[in-house]
Amino acid sequence: MSTNTTPVERLRDAGLYSPGDAVLSVRDLNVRFNSENGVVHAVRGVDFDLMPGKTLGIVGESGSGKSVTSMAVMGLLPETADITGSVRFKGKELLGLSDKAMCKHRGSDIAMVFQDPLSSLTPVYTVGTQIIEALTVHNPTMSKQAKEARAVDLLRMVGIPSPKDRLKAFPHEFSGGMRQRVMIAIAIANDPRVLIADEPTTALDVTIQAQVLEVLHTAQEETGAAVVMITHDLGVVAGMADDIMVMYAGKPVETGTVEDIYYNPRMPYTLGLLGAVPRIDTATKQSLVPIEGTPPNLALPVTGCSFAARCPMVSDACLHGEPELFPVPGVSVPGVEGQTLGHKAACIKAEELSGNADAHKIFHAPPKPVSKFDGVARVERDKVLELKDVKKHFPLLKGALIKRRIGTVKAVDGLSFDIREGECVSIVGESGCGKTTTLLEIMEFHPDQVGEVVIGGVSNKVATDHKTKMAMRKEMQMVFQDPTGALDPRFTVYEVLAEPLENLGMPKAAIRKRIMELMKLVGLQPDHVNRFPNQFSGGQRQRIGIARALAVNPKLVVLDEPVSALDVSVQAGVINLLDQLRAELGLSYLMVAHDLSVVRHISDRVAVMYLGNIVETGDVDDVFDNPRHPYTRALLSAIPVPDPQLERTRERIILEGDLPSPLDAPKGCNFATRCPVFAALPAAKQEKCLTLEPPLASEEEGAQDFACFFPDGEIDADMLVVHA
Amino acid sequence: MLKYLMKRSGIYLIMIFLTTSAGYFLAVSSLKPAVLEQEKIPRPTPEQVNASFRGLGLDPEKNAWERYIEWLGGILTRWDWGRSPNGAFVNAEFADRVMVSTRLFIASIILTLVIGVALGVYSAARQYKFQDRVITSYSYLVHILPAPIAYFLVQLGAISINEAVGERIFFVTGISTPGIEPGWPAFVDLVAHYAVPTFAMTIFGWAGYQIAQRQYLLDNVNADFVRTARAKGLTRNQAIRKHALRVSFIPVAQSIAFTIPAIFTGGFFAEAIFAWPGIGLWSIQAISLQDVNVATATLAYGSVIFAIGAILADFATTLVDPRVRVQ
Repeated sequence: MSTNTTPVERLRDAGLYSPGDAVLSVRDLNVRFNSENGVVHAVRGVDFDLMPGKTLGIVGESGSGKSVTSMAVMGLLPETADITGSVRFKGKELLGLSDKAMCKHRGSDIAMVFQDPLSSLTPVYTVGTQIIEALTVHNPTMSKQAKEARAVDLLRMVGIPSPKDRLKAFPHEFSGGMRQRVMIAIAIANDPRVLIADEPTTALDVTIQAQVLEVLHTAQEETGAAVVMITHDLGVVAGMADDIMVMYAGKPVETGTVEDIYYNPRMPYTLGLLGAVPRIDTATKQSLVPIEGTPPNLALPVTGCSFAARCPMVSDACLHGEPELFPVPGVSVPGVEGQTLGHKAACIKAEELSGNADAHKIFHAPPKPVSKFDGVARVERDKVLELKDVKKHFPLLKGALIKRRIGTVKAVDGLSFDIREGECVSIVGESGCGKTTTLLEIMEFHPDQVGEVVIGGVSNKVATDHKTKMAMRKEMQMVFQDPTGALDPRFTVYEVLAEPLENLGMPKAAIRKRIMELMKLVGLQPDHVNRFPNQFSGGQRQRIGIARALAVNPKLVVLDEPVSALDVSVQAGVINLLDQLRAELGLSYLMVAHDLSVVRHISDRVAVMYLGNIVETGDVDDVFDNPRHPYTRALLSAIPVPDPQLERTRERIILEGDLPSPLDAPKGCNFATRCPVFAALPAAKQEKCLTLEPPLASEEEGAQDFACFFPDGEIDADMLVVHA
Repeated sequence: MLKYLMKRSGIYLIMIFLTTSAGYFLAVSSLKPAVLEQEKIPRPTPEQVNASFRGLGLDPEKNAWERYIEWLGGILTRWDWGRSPNGAFVNAEFADRVMVSTRLFIASIILTLVIGVALGVYSAARQYKFQDRVITSYSYLVHILPAPIAYFLVQLGAISINEAVGERIFFVTGISTPGIEPGWPAFVDLVAHYAVPTFAMTIFGWAGYQIAQRQYLLDNVNADFVRTARAKGLTRNQAIRKHALRVSFIPVAQSIAFTIPAIFTGGFFAEAIFAWPGIGLWSIQAISLQDVNVATATLAYGSVIFAIGAILADFATTLVDPRVRVQ
């Protein structure tokens, strides 16, 4: 043993645990899976120390080995996985323990919260049973009453109203956010020392995400557990994490404190990731940083730097030997005591990136495209789409043989807006607010609809024959959310793109020519037209979806969550493409998205929807910089920003509860039940909100329209949260 | 729950009425018992045939609608399901036939179910291991083996056991030995008759349940909620037993309720081969004997059994799946 080791290290080497030491210590973790294509080396040498009470963020795109790492720590990988290295909990080696021995630690020492709350709870047992099960496993002697009391406490802690009654409820009676709260309650039931959260908010709406992150925060405070937060969203970890580990191709490529990573990234991948995320808090219209290419195939041996194929700074030296993580020069490596990770990067050019390296320059981000419409005032442009008081009410029926109408679901309740040439209008709001129904109503285009839809000057009240409808369809095309599901797996790209053209009766030779044009237009290689969709990556498939929409030269493209299924780095490329196409072809977009940062980046105008109504609409910069409606304010404050300092000092409005069912839409203002301004109002003023429906109007000429009697009202203090 | 059952029963009653009526019209317009009478020696004159049929309520000169009204009236007023061309009352034979079928199938239905589901769970827990491969291969083999051949094989086996022992231990056909004295000898005789058909139907019957249960369980073994259960500290086997099993049983419970009626009404191979003259055999014979009333009665019985099966399936599903709520 060398003489310059610390007491902590000597204890650790002896297999003992000292209180100041890392609670979870992972060394040289390797995971290999046998697959049909050979051995996949999914995790390749992960090292980290998790200090008590601290939060470590593991960041990376899908397939980078984040989740496999966490599952290996939990011992939940399939038996066929080959795991080597060391995972020590308080000095005790966990790797190699039998399933039974590992069960003593799982759920009591180390607990986990999973990504998808909808499928993570057993549907046939009550949530009470499932929480109590976690208690029973580790405390067999605990009395029934004590367990029930503890379960009620836990549900209260995670913010579930009337917890005693809810114990008897089944998972399907809870919303997604509520189920994730239950998952957190189960995880903290036995006061774990380590809590692993694997993308805990990815499947949730932004307002619910803010609530759940808040609950995780409380859970950590209550239990004092160390947290491992796994995510692809750099915004989510910015405010929560103390340390960050960026993973790529199964290996950590940069580690450091959250400040090191966000303000001084030394690995081109980290730099690219940070530049690829659109920001909600800045109006600067700059292209995003695209990281071209795809991660390497981990079934093949890695010879050089795994990021080399996608790195703009690559040189010959990068291809010979994989760089190890080594301390970033110029940064003092902190003492071992107290600090976990010094700032380390696995890049031979880490030094070149010192100071304020500009990701846009390094990754050759394209310049912001200029459209021919940019100089034209909005009122002078033609309307490509106009909605006038469109309504869609669904009757709610009861009874088996004879149906009785017991109510009405007002999915869309009187929408009016228009889209002019060359602009992008986005509709935002939580799931269930009527975004998708709006799109469906536009696509329906039937004379019997309530309200008028005018597309390219043709009204649905007039267009009854097939021919005018076909002409309308040519004007408007759609890009769908899931690029894999939207493409027929048995069609080659050529067939996918030829179909709309054949419908128009275009001659064969012209179709071929047009397809080649389209492939180039969306940045795909024209000689790939005979491939099938499964031979392309997710981002490329979405490009095919865009090419199909553009095939017939539409004026308006409807984008339904066009990038939400894509990884951040790929998303940036697709957003840049959409931006560029809009400028080059003079397209208009109608976009539905839940990611407000993307909306801010790409849109000119935005409409915020709540329970079938637009509550605020106007220029994107007006609405985002100076939101007037309390719902818009809450939505915007819920979006995490990839900036640790800003994130820690930001005031966040946490809305209570979920979106109410459109069935119980109250009289007066729809939003009053959850409104943070309403809650702070004196009773006399509240009366107005409860009886009158606020009209959608603007305060001054040219500013955004909003539907609220008390804009800029004071926010109820209980709903404001700051983590200083 | 009771209200729900009443409502469902009402709907099924209407459906039974419709299928039975449709079946009657089909039978009355296609089955012509008079043709068979022509083969009798001495050959009766058409007038004699018509007269004897008129006495039985099978008047061939009336049209289908008139006969339907007459038949329906008999059922509704006297619960009289009519008579066969040979003069036998349908009501008299019906109960015996149902009893024979029920006795023949009841044990094997329970055994196939229990063994099939248990083996399904056992093989799913050992996916791709030796035991799983043996059990599942056996199930697939049995699936493709036609039932008559399978039953004959069992009969041959039983006969060779009898020969090897040199004493008649098993009866391969028949229900009971005529003239056996009641008490212990009657019981031994019953078991000796019962063993072979029950054994044959069980070992060739569980395959479907085994394959279904194995498949549904495997679908759930890697479900997210099983992973959650393991993350709580349950071992893999505990998590599967407590969480995956119940969820995987939901579709199996549905299918069980629907296969039971199929066994009752479709069991004519077993009834014919083991010479247990039950309801399945009766329905086939009715068609070959041009017997309108028996054919319709067996059809009605099948419909009732199916309705009971469907209600049982609903009931079983509500029992295991809290997401299904009866209103």
